[in-house]
Amino acid sequence: MQRQGSPPLFRRGPPVEIRLAVMVALSIALLVLDAQFHLLEPLRRVVAIGLYPFQRTVMAPRDLARQFNEWVDAANHSRTENEALQRQRIELSQVTTHAAQLAAENAQLRRLLGVTDTVDQAAVVVEVLYEPADSYQQRLVFNKGSQAGLAPGMPVIDEGGVVGQIVRVTPQASEAALVTDERVSVPVQVLRNGLRLIAFGSNSPGRIEVRFLAANADIQEGDTIVTSGVGGLFPAGLPVAKVLTVERDTASGFARAVCEPLAHPERHRHFLVLQVDVARAQSELQEAETGGSQ
Amino acid sequence: MDRNNSSARQPARRLGTPRNVHPERLAPPANGFFVWGSVLAAWLVSLLPWRVWEGAPDILLLVLAFWCVHEPRRIGLVAAFCFGLLMDVHDVSVLGTHALSYTLVAYGAVALHRRLLHFDLWSQAIHMLPVFFVARLVQQILLAWLAGRWSGWEWGLSVLLTAAIWPAMGFVLQLPQRGTDDVESSSV
Repeated sequence: MQRQGSPPLFRRGPPVEIRLAVMVALSIALLVLDAQFHLLEPLRRVVAIGLYPFQRTVMAPRDLARQFNEWVDAANHSRTENEALQRQRIELSQVTTHAAQLAAENAQLRRLLGVTDTVDQAAVVVEVLYEPADSYQQRLVFNKGSQAGLAPGMPVIDEGGVVGQIVRVTPQASEAALVTDERVSVPVQVLRNGLRLIAFGSNSPGRIEVRFLAANADIQEGDTIVTSGVGGLFPAGLPVAKVLTVERDTASGFARAVCEPLAHPERHRHFLVLQVDVARAQSELQEAETGGSQ
Repeated sequence: MDRNNSSARQPARRLGTPRNVHPERLAPPANGFFVWGSVLAAWLVSLLPWRVWEGAPDILLLVLAFWCVHEPRRIGLVAAFCFGLLMDVHDVSVLGTHALSYTLVAYGAVALHRRLLHFDLWSQAIHMLPVFFVARLVQQILLAWLAGRWSGWEWGLSVLLTAAIWPAMGFVLQLPQRGTDDVESSSV
């Protein structure tokens, strides 16, 4: 409804169809470039840095309400926490005595074998800023970034075990892919017999898969899977998942194990990011690869 | 402008204006600050975590589409594309995902806007439903192609809800224009 006499305030641009074609072409180019070649990380980082203050501002009422809630519920909360901690303390005291013994023994054996000591991992506590809405990936956004010493590749853990891996960082925020995300793979081994495997995120939500096993591989329901330390990013021995079912396909000769993760990222707000030396792990991996190919 | 005034001016109408058109009874253009303010507010609301539910309506898309229909010279394809890109970064999805579907919806809204203005808000919602659906379908097909799998039809609910709250959103967004006008004449 073009009203008569309306002032020509806006100059007419190109026709809407041409704008549509340009925008759609641009969108598809962005989609392909970002999904296949990862060329747009700088652009994404710039936009994300600009977005961060808005995200924090919008989330502020929620955080405030949460803090208020916690403050009101403090007595109750601290009592249950206290009980849990007491129980844990008793359980742990036994484990600690045992562990101290083992550690001493282990140090001695390492000295005998001439193996260098493992270093204690520095870690950063992070809090979930928000959970992005996307059905194709399982991600979490944390409230700390490269300013807190985070870098892509670092593992994220909670008290249950491995939660995921940092995939992107901006100065103030970071994005982690959960172990159930399709694009994450973790070098693991079966705790029972040391069988080394690779665990992948699964198509079915909330599951981890171990694919392309030999059909006769020794893996059973109920097996616990822990990180193997291969690759250098995930320290060895962190719990990852429990095997739910093993599907053996005699026709193809492969087996596939579906596992349930032991960490529960949906239940917690705080996680620990282990500050592994990502650059060193990658250079070691590259050396191993070039060494293998020569 | 009240009725007495308009009927008094009726004989002196300009040549070429049909008898049944009353230029002064048409809704005045929306205030630019209000248009952009509502889009910004919808964007900020979309940053909140309630969108994790797959059936959640897309408020930002709804407001953008509404202004594409009612103020196509202020909000158009470029604005939709830019806000889509912002949502892509917020949702950490592949860049261009939201940008594409927002652009398609904006085009649908701009292309239909002359027709849509003849209808009331409910009919507009029914017109916009296929636009929302097709735009989202194209987006999902591209994502499925990139991911190598189809993620299901849960987003259909989101599309339905987005169209379903069009009348309510339209009522709210037209409130400032309604203030100066009487009730019957404001269904533009």
